[in-house]
Amino acid sequence: MPNSILKVENLKKSFQIAGGLFQKKQYVNAVIDVSFEIEEGTTFSLVGESGCGKSTTGRLITRLIAPTNGSIVVDGKEVATAKPSELRHLRQTVQMIFQDPYASLNPRMKVKELVGEPLEIHTKLSKVEREKLVLEMLEVVGLNAEHADRYAHEFSGGQRQRLGIARALITKPKLIIADEPVSALDVSIQSQILNLLKQLQQEYKISYLFISHDLSVVEHISHYIGVMYLGSIVEIGRKETIFNEPKHPYTQALIASVPIADPTLRKKKIVLTGDIPNPKNPPSGCTFHTRCPFASDICKQAIPEMRKINEEQSVACHFVN
Amino acid sequence: MPEHVLRVSDLETSFTRDNKEIKILRGVNFSIRKGEIVGLVGESGSGKSLTSLSIMQLFHGTTGKIVNGTIHFNGHDLTKMSESEIRKIRGKQMAMIFQEPMTSLNPVLKIGKQLMEAIEMHLKLPKNESKHHAIQMLKSVGIGRAEEIIYEYPHQLSGGMRQRVMIAMAMACHPNLLIADEPTTALDVTIQAQILELMKKLKEENETAILLITHDLGVVAEMCDRVVVMYAGQVVEEADVFELFASPKHPYTKGLIASVPKIGDNKEVLDSINGQVPSPQNMPNGCKFAPRCNQAMSICHQESPPTVKISATRQCSCWLYVKKDVEVNA
Repeated sequence: MPNSILKVENLKKSFQIAGGLFQKKQYVNAVIDVSFEIEEGTTFSLVGESGCGKSTTGRLITRLIAPTNGSIVVDGKEVATAKPSELRHLRQTVQMIFQDPYASLNPRMKVKELVGEPLEIHTKLSKVEREKLVLEMLEVVGLNAEHADRYAHEFSGGQRQRLGIARALITKPKLIIADEPVSALDVSIQSQILNLLKQLQQEYKISYLFISHDLSVVEHISHYIGVMYLGSIVEIGRKETIFNEPKHPYTQALIASVPIADPTLRKKKIVLTGDIPNPKNPPSGCTFHTRCPFASDICKQAIPEMRKINEEQSVACHFVN
Repeated sequence: MPEHVLRVSDLETSFTRDNKEIKILRGVNFSIRKGEIVGLVGESGSGKSLTSLSIMQLFHGTTGKIVNGTIHFNGHDLTKMSESEIRKIRGKQMAMIFQEPMTSLNPVLKIGKQLMEAIEMHLKLPKNESKHHAIQMLKSVGIGRAEEIIYEYPHQLSGGMRQRVMIAMAMACHPNLLIADEPTTALDVTIQAQILELMKKLKEENETAILLITHDLGVVAEMCDRVVVMYAGQVVEEADVFELFASPKHPYTKGLIASVPKIGDNKEVLDSINGQVPSPQNMPNGCKFAPRCNQAMSICHQESPPTVKISATRQCSCWLYVKKDVEVNA
């Protein structure tokens, strides 16, 4: 792949959920085996339902938490085992945008401090120089200089998400991890933010790791997609192939479940029965077999391996050739 | 029996803050027929949820009150009823499901007890029969192990299961009207698909009228017969669902539909609506949407538009459609 900005291999994370000194320790595997790569200037999306491990994967890559196993190569450097002192450089290259713009901005800081804070940490610029950059950045995200002296609560949800983007962008990162960045916004505002993210990608050649449960949004913004279920990627490939020819039964059901905003396209859906299993007690074999309409004996016993089925698509299912 | 299960006319609801009355709903009109699913759509702050709370008269602990208008339910005006009369209707003839099932179920009561409470109160059944009825209801919403679930607490269930329990509870007394306020917003898509199918099935079996409140136009297109679009506390457009998506009339509806990313159409740039919903304290003069509207004319900033009847099934409040030859019911 030309100029890969991020390469994740066999990433694993387990959290201890019970036990201690005298009790048996219990673990939950939030991320079991995740591998993917992001090219410079492209968007890779992780989709899946709650509890599938997509957000944990994002937090592992920013090293907000340390992986149990596996490798994370950001811009040519291994960071999975990096020491805290080495992480400072990583945080300049990789920035994050969060779902809740209300909770992720400090209510006691003025906009110019909020947006300028990363510069204070990562650069040796003077206050005047920092403010100049902040004002430029506000323009870039569609706000203006008069907003610089206000506090976060004076802004609407969409504007706050713009502030979050400005704050992430100001260190000139190469990769932005956007964890459900538009889920809390109304549709008319959501489209403004999606357009902004796309425009910034073209201007600054940023790569995005986009984490979302909303397939319509993912289809709009991504180049590549990884579909996650209970801690593992079950299908991965180019956006067009994933949406036009989904191979894994879970991907098929997921795409079929999305309500389309056009009543003439009402259709009988493939409704998956049952709930998402508890990750504490994942099913044996293929973790999807409890809900899969095509499951047979082999699915209960053996974990399907990820196989490349064509140049643009890999699937982990026993029944896909 | 009148044709309409529910008819809301000129509904105005306000809250009081610092001795000042702030009007949130400013004249809401719509109706629902038997066995019909009507979608109430709009962005946050448009007054969708308050409309449903006004119908249910759930203002307890707030300063909210209905200041004008009528709400006719099965021919009776709810705004003229006393609290005790409404209690007899609420939960029996009209029921409501909320977005977050965890906060609307009582965490310290077992599922069965919560279900039986409503059944015993409204249907006046003895205990063993109401238990049987509760189990039947849970089975009808697709909960297989209903006999065990009634002895469990809400926290032991998943989000989708809790929402099923809420629906079972709402449907327990076979209401004429079900108000569902963002019933699937907190759920994953595959679970959402299950719940939507279930609501359709219940509607067909019991001819329940459903008022479906949602911001998700996909859900509306999938579920509804008719759609009511709200903006800033008013209905701006009302139409049959097919007409609405095929040719939206109000610029706000147009903008809303165009903003939704659709799987399959490869638009590089999404359409969006500039600006944001005005706050109730700072409502603009004239049409409330005018400051965000790309077709606004000078009259839009001065006078509120009348409601124009465009055809038998649709109407729209916008100056663009006010012509001399069209009848105006201001």
